[in-house]
Amino acid sequence: MNVCTTQLADLPMITIEGEVDHSATAELQAAVDAAMTGDTESVLLDLGECTYIDSGGISVILGTFRRVRENGWLGVVAPNSNVRRLFEIVGLTVDDKFRIFGDRAEAERSMGASAG
Amino acid sequence: MNQLGADSAAERHSDLRCRRIQVAAESSRLADIRQFVESVGTEHGLDDNQIFDLKVAVSEACANAVEHSGVTKAPIELCAWFHPDKLVFEISDSGGFRLPRSEPGFQADSRGLGLPLMVALMDEVRIRKLPNAGTNVTLTLYLDR
Repeated sequence: MNVCTTQLADLPMITIEGEVDHSATAELQAAVDAAMTGDTESVLLDLGECTYIDSGGISVILGTFRRVRENGWLGVVAPNSNVRRLFEIVGLTVDDKFRIFGDRAEAERSMGASAG
Repeated sequence: MNQLGADSAAERHSDLRCRRIQVAAESSRLADIRQFVESVGTEHGLDDNQIFDLKVAVSEACANAVEHSGVTKAPIELCAWFHPDKLVFEISDSGGFRLPRSEPGFQADSRGLGLPLMVALMDEVRIRKLPNAGTNVTLTLYLDR
């Protein structure tokens, strides 16, 4: 797994590449903790190059979602169909505070729309 | 498949071909396990989605085995059984099956996803306690459904 944090519009965006299994859990959790400063309300995860994820990564994503759900939302960008199916199985996709975007441009447009 | 032998009509377990690997009970070895699953799935003609599901389910079973292997780090044994109508992965370890414990930094209810994922992705999941205190998990994917 490779993980790095940038910004898209005003939100932290954590780009997660490769395979996210139990050996990557601690590193991913640390990246999320570092990206989310005190006043962070919403966060984006770019999964466009994430080829595999299991409960090692999903547990971190669920924990992150619970952290932001009160005041903000969690957006995932470009998950592949298999990753997306796992999100459905664990029940993330039924919550409107969990948003899925096809690509970064769609995420950016959506943020512009909600800000305006 | 000719690997089944001359008497392939007989469906006794001992006639089935299987591939097996043994890996150390460490989460750093999960990538090797996924590579094995991919190789088996490809050989069995599964599509990418089926292989993904198998990788997740087998990884969850192995991650659980890693978690309860404790300080002994006894190896995990993984067998793939090639039945005509199904593919069965059998994961054996020498520890007792336990629900994952909560760890600092995780909310307790974010953990314990492994078993629900296995059940959701596979057609059949069986967990057996072995006489030697080990655990044996079998994950079955039926073909041509």
